[in-house]
Amino acid sequence: MASMGTPAVVMDNGTGLTKLGFAGNDSPSFVFPTAIATSINNTKLGKSGSSLGGLKRGLEDLDFHIGEDALSAAAGPNYSLLYPIRHGQIENWDHMERFWERSIFKYLRCEPEDHYFLLTEPPLNPPENRESTAEIMFESFNCAGLYIAVQAVLALAASWTSSKVQDRSLTGTVIDSGDGVTHVIPVAEGYVIGGAIKNIPLAGRDITLFIQLLLRDRGEADTSLQTAERIKQQFCYVCPDIVNEFKKFDQYPQEKFAQYIVETVSRQSKTVDVGYERFLAPEIFFNPEICSSDYLTPLPTVVDQVVQSSPIDVRKKLYKNIVLSGGSTMFKDFGRRLQRDIKGLVNERIESSERLSGVKSTGVDVQVISHKRQRNAVWFGGSLLAQTAEFKSYCYTKQDYDEYGPNIVRNFSLFSVP
Amino acid sequence: MLQIEQSNLLIENTLGDRLYPSEENSGSAKLLDRIISDFDFTNYHISTLPDDNTKLLISVYLQCWEDLVRFGVDLYLSKKYTSYSAALTILPASDVETGYNYSLLLDTEAAIAEGVEFSQAMVAELALLKRNAMAAAFESAFNRYDELAQQYSGENTYSEEIQAALQAEPTLLVRHRGDEESIFIKPSFDRVTVVFSTTFKDDTDKIFGKVFLQEFVDARKRSVQTAPQVLFTDKEPPLDIQDVVPRGSVSDNKGYVTFVLFPRHLTKGDRRENCISHIQFFRNYFHYHIKCAKAYMHSRMRFRVKEFLKVLNRAKPENVDDDGKAIDTRKTASGRKFEAGRA
Repeated sequence: MASMGTPAVVMDNGTGLTKLGFAGNDSPSFVFPTAIATSINNTKLGKSGSSLGGLKRGLEDLDFHIGEDALSAAAGPNYSLLYPIRHGQIENWDHMERFWERSIFKYLRCEPEDHYFLLTEPPLNPPENRESTAEIMFESFNCAGLYIAVQAVLALAASWTSSKVQDRSLTGTVIDSGDGVTHVIPVAEGYVIGGAIKNIPLAGRDITLFIQLLLRDRGEADTSLQTAERIKQQFCYVCPDIVNEFKKFDQYPQEKFAQYIVETVSRQSKTVDVGYERFLAPEIFFNPEICSSDYLTPLPTVVDQVVQSSPIDVRKKLYKNIVLSGGSTMFKDFGRRLQRDIKGLVNERIESSERLSGVKSTGVDVQVISHKRQRNAVWFGGSLLAQTAEFKSYCYTKQDYDEYGPNIVRNFSLFSVP
Repeated sequence: MLQIEQSNLLIENTLGDRLYPSEENSGSAKLLDRIISDFDFTNYHISTLPDDNTKLLISVYLQCWEDLVRFGVDLYLSKKYTSYSAALTILPASDVETGYNYSLLLDTEAAIAEGVEFSQAMVAELALLKRNAMAAAFESAFNRYDELAQQYSGENTYSEEIQAALQAEPTLLVRHRGDEESIFIKPSFDRVTVVFSTTFKDDTDKIFGKVFLQEFVDARKRSVQTAPQVLFTDKEPPLDIQDVVPRGSVSDNKGYVTFVLFPRHLTKGDRRENCISHIQFFRNYFHYHIKCAKAYMHSRMRFRVKEFLKVLNRAKPENVDDDGKAIDTRKTASGRKFEAGRA
């Protein structure tokens, strides 16, 4: 087949952001919001014709924008902005189909008939959604081959780049924290343990809002969401102990306090002091009570609960391979603090069971793996797996689809671990 | 999006990030190694040199490169890119990256030193690399047309000798998608005929394709008289190129689209360039619109199914209990029940 020489296309459509690119690259080629702006074509607009930019009637289905273009188009009066993915799952198939159409032809510039595709899905995605995805990919786009991978599994694969990983296994606990929600997902040999997944309603957006709140309380010169976002990305880190960190800030103010300079539109620059929020903001994962009043379980406890509710024979491996993924896990020392806290919980339990049973435990190894590709871990894992020579043999091809129908995609063979 | 853009957006972005350092990506030049794809099995590879991160190696692979070499693609591309020689070096054939057909070396520091306007023009031209390479074939056919037009001007072009000579004029063949699909270009003294052969992998595509092309043929009759003439033939290759098409290649899934370009379209300058750009992207444009049409059909189908389901849900017979009394299980339009009693 001629499609053998072309790189596979890796598409990770998340709730907030879509990552597009070709397998073999180290970062996605395009990262933009999963948004589509469709034209509002009521009859009045259609007749006047001017608002449609001289397009002829009957071409309304081509008049839309996606990604950044959609955001700017929606600022005008003729387009409405829509998000086809909600909570990780595709809600509007019409819009998603057009979103893919534009991503493939405008951004990636490839003929889908010539490329294999790797798409991602959230854990617990209903099989019907998989079928609908396959229907679109094979019937509309005639793509050469398709593989739909679970995001958590790809995140595990991405962690193989870390030097801490000795054996490349697909067993581990994935902590996926994006903008909207944080998931803790246990994976055993490539299969997600669905019953044990836990969600935490704290993620990137909450951290940003918390920083904004702190800035407002202090009455800083600029307290926009954008400023808070920048401060989060540039200055925040995780501290080992809050009380000590407060003391350090008071002892060495020159070293610890920072300043962030905002350039306003009118060329004036405002200075914003950055103080305790440097370590307080990411602290909401570990002490949620400082920002939220209804969600109070710290992240390490949730991880421990998740592992404890998984089958007993994989628990040791789940503790040993805790993998981070998503932008909100990028804080400095996030992994180290998490590892220490989980270790504390585990050791406490071992101690009490030793005391009660009188039998010496062999000990449980807790290891949190952080690596450089955390931000786009899912996409990177996809790129890693899709560039292997075996990838195409795991995919279903157009011929398979025509032979068996859409329910063929209910099961994909898992990547064998090299 | 009605037209597919000619330039490669990704190349533009990748090089742009390098050449206009902004607040976010300032600092020392980082390592870069990127594979970029384009239509018709075209692959690009943009990478930094192993010892110097300020120098970018841009390589391109085209399926039909061997055909293009015969039409002087090297000369054509060097003509396009020498104006940027301050920062851009065309590597000789011996230094081309293995697995690729053509390599350029970009010195980012020199480009930044030349100023933003220079860089912008250069990046825009580099993003058109595939278009420019393909254009070589058209350019050479159009040049041949110029020669022929000059040669036969004022002569009786209906005489048999001239007709025979024109008949014998070689057809330019570009196998832009391997052996499956090709472009045939035949210059003459008063026109240039461009024929595309296209293969449909899917039966549905074939039908959509036929309808779409029929519209193309009809459009000229109806309103756009200045457009080139379009002809569509199924299965059998048109007579113009019958002697070039290998025998036995007649298949049900093959179609031939013929464009006849008249002197009006071949006026030198911008119009000619524009004509080249549009005609070489025809295949991609055609398949893009087949896919758009399918997406549109699907959305209509989904809408209809939803409507029918609503009707069906309303038509479900009422549940009757033992006494023949109807049990109150009224449903909403989406088929959900009111379960007030049970809760």
